[in-house]
Amino acid sequence: MKRMTRGAAVTSAIALAVTMAVGITPSHAATTLTMIAADYPGDGHTQQDQWTDFATRFHAANPDITVNVIVKSWNDIDQYVATQIASGQTPDVVNKGDYSAPAAAGLLYPASKIVSPATLADILPAFLNNSKYNGVVYALPDLASARALFYNKDLLTKAGITKLPTSWLSLTTDLGIIHRKLKGIYGYAIPLGPEEAQAEFNIWAGGNGGSYYNYATKAWVLNSPANVATATFLKSLTTKGYTEPNPDKCDRTACAQALFAAGKAVFINGSVFLGSWLKANGGSKLNVGTGSFVSNTGHKPVTLGVQDYFTAYSKNGNQAAIQKWMDFIYEPANYAKFLVAAGGFIPATKSAGAKAASDPALAPFIKLLPNAVFYPGDIASWNSVKGQIQQGIGQAVTGDPAKVLGQLQTAAAAAK
Amino acid sequence: MTTVRKRYRVGALPWIGPAMAVIFLMVLYPAFEMIKTSFMSIDATGTSHGFTGLTNYRTLFRNPNLTAVLERTVVWTISIVVLTVLISLPVAQILHAKFPGRRFVRYALIVPWAASVVMTSTSWLWILNGYYGILNRILLSLGLIQDQKQFLGSQTQSFTWLIVVAIFVSVPFTTYVVLAGLTTIGEDILEASTVDGASGWQRYKSIIFPLLRPALLIGMVINLINVFNSFPIIWVMTTGGPGYSTDTTTTLAYKISFRNADIAQSAAMATINFGIILLFIVLFLKVSRWRDDS
Repeated sequence: MKRMTRGAAVTSAIALAVTMAVGITPSHAATTLTMIAADYPGDGHTQQDQWTDFATRFHAANPDITVNVIVKSWNDIDQYVATQIASGQTPDVVNKGDYSAPAAAGLLYPASKIVSPATLADILPAFLNNSKYNGVVYALPDLASARALFYNKDLLTKAGITKLPTSWLSLTTDLGIIHRKLKGIYGYAIPLGPEEAQAEFNIWAGGNGGSYYNYATKAWVLNSPANVATATFLKSLTTKGYTEPNPDKCDRTACAQALFAAGKAVFINGSVFLGSWLKANGGSKLNVGTGSFVSNTGHKPVTLGVQDYFTAYSKNGNQAAIQKWMDFIYEPANYAKFLVAAGGFIPATKSAGAKAASDPALAPFIKLLPNAVFYPGDIASWNSVKGQIQQGIGQAVTGDPAKVLGQLQTAAAAAK
Repeated sequence: MTTVRKRYRVGALPWIGPAMAVIFLMVLYPAFEMIKTSFMSIDATGTSHGFTGLTNYRTLFRNPNLTAVLERTVVWTISIVVLTVLISLPVAQILHAKFPGRRFVRYALIVPWAASVVMTSTSWLWILNGYYGILNRILLSLGLIQDQKQFLGSQTQSFTWLIVVAIFVSVPFTTYVVLAGLTTIGEDILEASTVDGASGWQRYKSIIFPLLRPALLIGMVINLINVFNSFPIIWVMTTGGPGYSTDTTTTLAYKISFRNADIAQSAAMATINFGIILLFIVLFLKVSRWRDDS
């Protein structure tokens, strides 16, 4: 009897607590949005500050919406997002470099539902075209970058080379001269280590008419004759000592850009932000020129365009709140702040693009963009194939080109 | 009698309960989830599409790098464990002897053990750097090499250096285990053997080493598990590269999961990994006749 009384007391206490809790909860539900954003290089660690500032001001204007922005490094973000989704904690908005896998899995809101028509109309159509899956725009481009050939003017003069190479043949000749005349200097720094191997190889292959994916036959073509020939050509440069040794171990930042900054490499593939990176990393005194990449005879030189994306996941059903938040980000004043924090990229909106075209640091890259090749980012398995390429393609240049590319092709064809 | 025993068992529960809960929640449940995941189809976004049988295992076995990685894992584990023991035995013997400054040397040996493995590996990565590394600088200054060497460039060289670093971080622990074993050997036995006319080597072979066996075996089993599962040294220094040429099964599982975005196939690799380490331990205990002297 005594026990029952105690039990009853506990029950009523719990009931009371529950009632009180219910009483406290406001009648209209507050929404909390979770956003996972990649950390752009910027000029310091400004991205978290920028997102915190955005979230604070947005909450002040929309008291019923709270936004938590988690900033993750580029190394960790894919893994982090996949783990969150696998463990049932799907985020609302993600800002990173791919969108096709979640679009194919039906996890995303189409772009038309995550921004207002006015915002959507302000985004450059060329970028929106690279944001489609099965013809529907599923991602909003946040910014873009392009590559150019960077070279050390002083080293080139020292070697007595007055004209930039225009074909693989003249490039080989020039690199030979550099190899003979400049002791301890590498002609071309080719980073085929895991960090950015997919970009480096794409540019070289593009200059030989090669690519990763054939849209006409809807198949991966990693071991196409053009790609094998490209790897064989790069292998010949490495064997002759025209590049740094072991390009398959050479990562973009720690190896290739570091060599260039130290004045130990003449040519390098550089992104829009390389200029500011060099200033911050000991290369401020370099006399740097930029030009177009070198292609094989009979092919046009290409540049690589890379764009990143905002995507919105539909699982939590916060569509209205997401749209308010995305429109807020794309407001010209805010979007300008986002670009500054990210550090020297090409904007994806018409309004910001007009301003950027007069920026001397960006203008040459914006001019290159119309001839840019892009990754096959709209293919669902791209992210997985990209990982395979990053790990393996360097060995096509140090090992047997046809065999290594053949293995990558098999893996890509099986990728989900 | 039976009731007494039963009550006794139930009564023990509050005491062993927490430990059992930890084992269930932290060991058995994750292992179960891992094995379950290895039989499921999970796409690159992390969304599950239900069970798929042995598909992940089949894909994994078709991986052209798998055989080499498995062989390398065996070489990696055995060479490091054996070399570590071979180095630790004499080092422990030296540290057991009395000499001025012994305390300092004993503390100094703890440093590579106490420092985070990531930190140690990062230091070695820069020591061995092919362009700016201090080792290149020293060898060049001594005239031992003419050009900068890429110590982590080729497969053979980088794998050898990985093993060196792994031994470097395993020796302190093993030495201390052996040292602890040495301190338990009574002075009287050693004295008696000297009186009976045993030489230094005879005394080590017939008395010290057999008495060290229990400590040594425990040290070796712990090393076996640690080295087999070792991730940070390889990941920091070579990320398993160039290509997959310095991967062990542990780093390969990580790459499949987080570079190639295939969580389920990675779970299959991890399950096999789990099986291999169990096999390793059982074999080791059998070979070392674990139960014989206890």
